[in-house]
Amino acid sequence: MRLTWVVVGIGLALAGCGGSSGPRKKLVAFSQCNNSEPYRAAQNARLTKLLAAQPDVQLVIADAQQDNSKQIGQIEAFIRQKPDLLIVAPNERAPLTEVMGRAFHAGIPVICLERDIVQPNYTSYIRSDNREIGRMAGQYIVDYLTKKNGAPRGNIVQIRGLLGVEGEINRYEGAQEVLAKYPGIRTVHEAVADWIQAKAKDRMTEALRAEPKIDVVYAHNDPMAVGAYLAAKDLGREKEMIFIGVDGLSGPGGGIQKVADGILAATFVYPLCVDKAVEIGTRILREPGFQPEKVYTINSVMVTPENAARLEKAAE
Amino acid sequence: MKRLRKLKSVLGLAGIILIAILVSPVAADGSNIFLQAGNLTDVLRQMSVIGIIAVAMTFVILTAGIDLSVGSILAFATCLTGMFITRSSPGSSHFAQAALAVTVAVGASALVGAANGVVISAFRIQPFIVSLASMIGVRGLAKWLSKNENIDIGFGSDAAASFAGFVNQKVVIVGAFAVLAAIFWIVLDRTVFGRYVRAIGDNEKAGRYSGLPIRSVKIAVYTLSGLLTGIAGVLYAAENHQGNPNAGVAYELDAIAAVVIGGTSLMGGSGSIAGTIVGTLIMGVLTNILRLRNVDSNVEMMVKAVIIVLAVAIQKSEKAE
Amino acid sequence: MSGGPEPLIQLDGVNKHYDGAQALRDASFSVAKGEVHALVGENGAGKSTLSKIIAGAVQPDAATVRWRGEPVRISSPIAAQRLGIGIVFQELDLFPNLSIAENIVIGNVRMERSPWVNRKELSRFCAAHLEQVGLAASPWTLVRDLPIAHMQLVAIARALSFDARLILMDEPTSSLADDAVDRLFALIRRLRSAGVSVVYVSHKMKEIFEIADRITVLRDGSTIGTRNAADTNIDEIIGMMVGRAIGSESLAPSGPPGEVVLSAAGVTTQKLRGVTFDLHRGEILGVAGLVGAGRSELGAALFGLDPIRGGSVHLNGREFHPRSPADAIRRRFGLLPEDRKLQGLMMQMSVLENTSIAILGRLARWSFLSHSREKGVAMPVLQRMALKSASPEAGVSSLSGGNQQKVLLAKWLLTNPDVLFLDDPTRGIDVGAKRDIYHIIQDLAGQGKGVLFVSSELPELLQCCHRILVLREGRNMGIVDARTATQEQIMKLATAEPVAA
Repeated sequence: MRLTWVVVGIGLALAGCGGSSGPRKKLVAFSQCNNSEPYRAAQNARLTKLLAAQPDVQLVIADAQQDNSKQIGQIEAFIRQKPDLLIVAPNERAPLTEVMGRAFHAGIPVICLERDIVQPNYTSYIRSDNREIGRMAGQYIVDYLTKKNGAPRGNIVQIRGLLGVEGEINRYEGAQEVLAKYPGIRTVHEAVADWIQAKAKDRMTEALRAEPKIDVVYAHNDPMAVGAYLAAKDLGREKEMIFIGVDGLSGPGGGIQKVADGILAATFVYPLCVDKAVEIGTRILREPGFQPEKVYTINSVMVTPENAARLEKAAE
Repeated sequence: MKRLRKLKSVLGLAGIILIAILVSPVAADGSNIFLQAGNLTDVLRQMSVIGIIAVAMTFVILTAGIDLSVGSILAFATCLTGMFITRSSPGSSHFAQAALAVTVAVGASALVGAANGVVISAFRIQPFIVSLASMIGVRGLAKWLSKNENIDIGFGSDAAASFAGFVNQKVVIVGAFAVLAAIFWIVLDRTVFGRYVRAIGDNEKAGRYSGLPIRSVKIAVYTLSGLLTGIAGVLYAAENHQGNPNAGVAYELDAIAAVVIGGTSLMGGSGSIAGTIVGTLIMGVLTNILRLRNVDSNVEMMVKAVIIVLAVAIQKSEKAE
Repeated sequence: MSGGPEPLIQLDGVNKHYDGAQALRDASFSVAKGEVHALVGENGAGKSTLSKIIAGAVQPDAATVRWRGEPVRISSPIAAQRLGIGIVFQELDLFPNLSIAENIVIGNVRMERSPWVNRKELSRFCAAHLEQVGLAASPWTLVRDLPIAHMQLVAIARALSFDARLILMDEPTSSLADDAVDRLFALIRRLRSAGVSVVYVSHKMKEIFEIADRITVLRDGSTIGTRNAADTNIDEIIGMMVGRAIGSESLAPSGPPGEVVLSAAGVTTQKLRGVTFDLHRGEILGVAGLVGAGRSELGAALFGLDPIRGGSVHLNGREFHPRSPADAIRRRFGLLPEDRKLQGLMMQMSVLENTSIAILGRLARWSFLSHSREKGVAMPVLQRMALKSASPEAGVSSLSGGNQQKVLLAKWLLTNPDVLFLDDPTRGIDVGAKRDIYHIIQDLAGQGKGVLFVSSELPELLQCCHRILVLREGRNMGIVDARTATQEQIMKLATAEPVAA
């Protein structure tokens, strides 16, 4: 009998969790696919900070922990609450398509963040251009090698992320578009490290043993670039080559800092897309009749030692 | 005596529904969001896959066994479904292709279950260990078959799309759960096989001394576990439009939790499908109300843990009375 | 030889009951200093309960205990150890994966002063005691690598290591070969000269008369008497062990025995050695013998639980070699096991479910089970059992022991066997239920079935059976006519030295 009272007590305690009372705020619901990735944690932090400036907005973030079924269920629960704006960072394309469609067709404004779905079941899709990033990286490599060797000639090593993910495919092919025009620039070693720094270090060690001369390491994200740097440092060859990455997060662990510290020669900011999302979202909330564009593409910025300090400040 | 325990878990369900109604957010038109028909059917749909696995797990646990491999079998089944439904096979109708995919996925899953059962009963190795090994091995099998890539089940007009379009309807998914639960409720309660399952879990030695076909019953329950998980996998693939070798991680724990909360004893010999259905619903309602109140999903896990312990403690205490 | 007039330990008025059965009833026991005192009695007479009470492993309901004249309470094994009492159990309670030294020292309160293990000190300590018992082995040998005889010596060394003045040995020679027995006796004599008393619990009359100074006989939980070994003989002791008044006239149905239904010839298994007997239709054949004689093992062999290595069995004229109980049941051989809770009943199921479990297959193979059909088939048999106030839906765990046993009998009757092996069917049951069960057994015989009736209660066997097979150490010591045999006769067969086969 006593136990049943404990249960009732817990139930009432549950009533205290979540939600607050007071005048009804505008509900912005954000379904995040995985809080534990640094990029996504940065998205959450930026979103929270920007919306904190709008006191009549209540932001709720749900973490799907990389589970499609969980994300579907969380979005369904959001739909029931009829939020004023639903932002979704889909875990995977196909699984999330249908439920986002339901939200969209129920009249809820839906912003699809950074990752695409199969059908355009959203009000607006905010993306950044990984292909363009790849091209920028390729061009940087060409320019650097030309300066170093007098001609567009040299050996590069590429460290790749999860194959099959859109970002990875485009960062690779974008660079290929540029590099293919210069037969003197050869990719002598290609390894897959799944976006993870420790794996990149191991793969780079293998590359170092296999290749006597490396000019550039192009890692498709910053943690992998750092991992490659550490591998080269262990073998005393870090001065032989330069390291470039992608992401350019701010903060002490981010790519911008690594450029400032001289570990990375350059990185390319992979925009959080959050600033644009908040801009469009705010207009949706406050301007009835506002029709956003279907797709917004946010451009990247190259981070070099010259602008690193300024970019870090801007990101605060 | 058994009826009393069922009553306890039904009371638990009633209690949690009551709490859900009380704490549910209210919509703009004043209606209770939890009680909206759309939300309630959402809950049923969300719990159906776990519910089907839990029905099979009830049989396994009733024999005093356990099957930790169901999450991996689920992934395996979704991959087979994905592979066979997206194969280009000109000339065969969408229905035929879907039928083939379902048959292969469910059949292969049942075979895996049978393999578990044979090793457990013929080699007399503990179910925990065999199903643990199976959990690891089948996951590897799924990843190998699919080259660790997801298999998208499309949105176009091919067989895959019709399959997903048809199966991924609340009516079909919840209906499948309801039908399977009803069938196996009857099997457990009213057939000789069902009686044997309970007897073996109650006292295997006495069962042996009474001439019960222990080996075949054990193989049957593990095969059933594979079979039903295979069906759950087909539904999951349609729901997610995807064959995914990484699906179903920790689903075995959710299934076991549903069974245990519903009043089935892990020591075997006592329990019911009705209890499992109630346990599944309790977990579903709990998850739903936590989400409606926007409680952090990590807190969700802690609450689940507390509920499981409480449920078992309540049952133990009434047993001692 | 014996010490001063004051006994080393004196127990009086010892009472102990388990689950409604009285294990010890006002028993008394006293051991003098420096003597070897044998404790004897039938199965269930209370010997091991009394030993466990002395060793502190079991608490009596009531008892007056004096150690060296001072009243004490032996509240735990540690308390017994502190007094100086050691016990060597028949089921040796050593740790097989630890070394001899560790086994000896574990639990020794005086050695466990520091948390660190000092190997040198351990070695020294153990070497002394190992020498005392005459075991020449390294203290670091793992116990599981020792032969049983040596394991026993380690157990004794352990008892000695806490300066025991009284050592209890429960059936110490049950697993020993002759030469090991001789060495053990030599050790016991050395201990006696050193002033250590030994309480020797055993069934083996010959050994008792060889080693003991005095003998105390228990029966039905009470002390019958104590004799000096020199002043008595085997017959008198056996008479004291069994001297119970038998009930009324024989219940065994008269009439000529039918044809042979079960015939065993030279049945040999791991424990049985060439058991031979015939069982007739309508006959109740008792199976008597001490614990470990092979009675339950005979059932296991016939029921397909234990592989038969030699000899043969014929049932209804055909060779009978079941590989499992299911096989045996198909050939119409049933077995009521010794432990109804562990081996017989599904405690979470109802009376009806337990009754029908063995014949469900006949009612409805892998398909639907009609509740009414099940009830229809089971109720007539259940009603014959005269279950007192128990409905078929009642949980079987709520029944008394007697009723539970009746449910199990009903289960076996439903399978319509030709032969039924009943292993201790009246153990732990009240008198009324016992009577009922005797009548059920008579009925079975009356219907022309063959019944094998295992029991430790000789009067019961003499009353119910036609003939009684007496086993000892897996051998058939003889088959006596129940109507003319005496308890002493049977006990003598059960305790005699087997003739080398």
